Amino acid sequence: MSHYFHRFGALSSVALIAILLPLEAFAHGVDENTREFLLNNTGVQIIPFLYIGAKHMVTGYDHLLFLVGVLFFLYKSRDVLLYVSMFTLGHSATLLFGVISDIGINAYLIDAIIGLSVVYKGFENLGGFKQTIGFTPNPKAAVLIFGLCHGFGLATKLQEFQLPSDGLISNLIAFNVGVELGQLTALAFILLVINYWRQHASFIRFSTITNCVLMSAGFMLIGFQLTGYAVS
Amino acid sequence: MPQTDIKTSKTQPTLTNSKLLKYTLFSVVFATIALITVILPAEYNIDPTGAGSALGLTVFDNEKPGAGIELPAEVAKERTATIEVVVPAGRGVEYKFTMAQYQKLTYEWTTDGSALYFDLHGEPKGDTTGYFESYAIATLDAMKGSFTAPFAGSHGWYWKNASAVPVTVQLVVSGEYIEHGLK
Repeated sequence: MSHYFHRFGALSSVALIAILLPLEAFAHGVDENTREFLLNNTGVQIIPFLYIGAKHMVTGYDHLLFLVGVLFFLYKSRDVLLYVSMFTLGHSATLLFGVISDIGINAYLIDAIIGLSVVYKGFENLGGFKQTIGFTPNPKAAVLIFGLCHGFGLATKLQEFQLPSDGLISNLIAFNVGVELGQLTALAFILLVINYWRQHASFIRFSTITNCVLMSAGFMLIGFQLTGYAVS
Repeated sequence: MPQTDIKTSKTQPTLTNSKLLKYTLFSVVFATIALITVILPAEYNIDPTGAGSALGLTVFDNEKPGAGIELPAEVAKERTATIEVVVPAGRGVEYKFTMAQYQKLTYEWTTDGSALYFDLHGEPKGDTTGYFESYAIATLDAMKGSFTAPFAGSHGWYWKNASAVPVTVQLVVSGEYIEHGLK
């Protein structure tokens, strides 16, 4: 018990804080209060931007689904760390680059690609690439590349608000760090659940259907975002 | 296996091509059904099958703020009530109907004979200043008519019995209101 506590104590407290976060924001964008804040924001505001970043990640089901797909067959902490680092590297790079150089990518299209990343990961977990094309494209590279896409998605959320250049870099970095904190929180949850489930035979028994559902959720995201693009 | 660099036996069982195709197709079909029947109707009010409105999911887009008067469905329809109000000797009594703005009430009341001073009036909802607006003030033993609530709030009668015996008022109303009772 105490061993468990030492191991997961810190993570659990982060998780608890996350539970207490209001969950009214969804993957698409930002809720009303945050919007108000972002529109009126001036100067450096480290803590609020940290919070917005963390909240965006914790409540962003598209990012979370992708993480579930990535972590599904990772058994070793080393691999978890490695893959999560690749993802972090990817999305941080494009988040910073996208906002600083003010690259405009349609939010619906980039979110559709994020949906595609979920489908890809589910298909890869099913062993689909090996079966169909004879080999699995480097999973680390895939996570890095899709990480880049997720980063552009994060950038579009911030760019909606034409943030003032005053304090932009600091705020942006705070947002980015917030995203990573949110990701750690989400990871704590996902790992707890997956690690627990792995101890049961049902994990492998249901791995096919789970990844099938994951793919399906990815297709839903794609359809949802492409329709949004078509009607906007 | 997907993660070729991970040496472990606890991995996804290998699927045959037909199974892989079956699962992939299933995920697409399931996603399409969910999109068409639930997600698109709710998010964009696109409802090709009508399933969305059957499920009551197209409501998010239909509500345009400021368009029309917001009335709970059950109060918008006509209701009738017959109420007996006893006004004790030498006392005043208020009987009020809670109504939304522009709701209309038709009424008819009679006493058991003696005339009563009355003030038919409305008080805005949430008002704490004691403001009220009178629609009719008189001393009568019967009256019929109708009024439309100029604002949301409680609307009704103040009857004052100046006599030495209790007077019973028979009130019959029909129209739109949320609730009614002695105040």
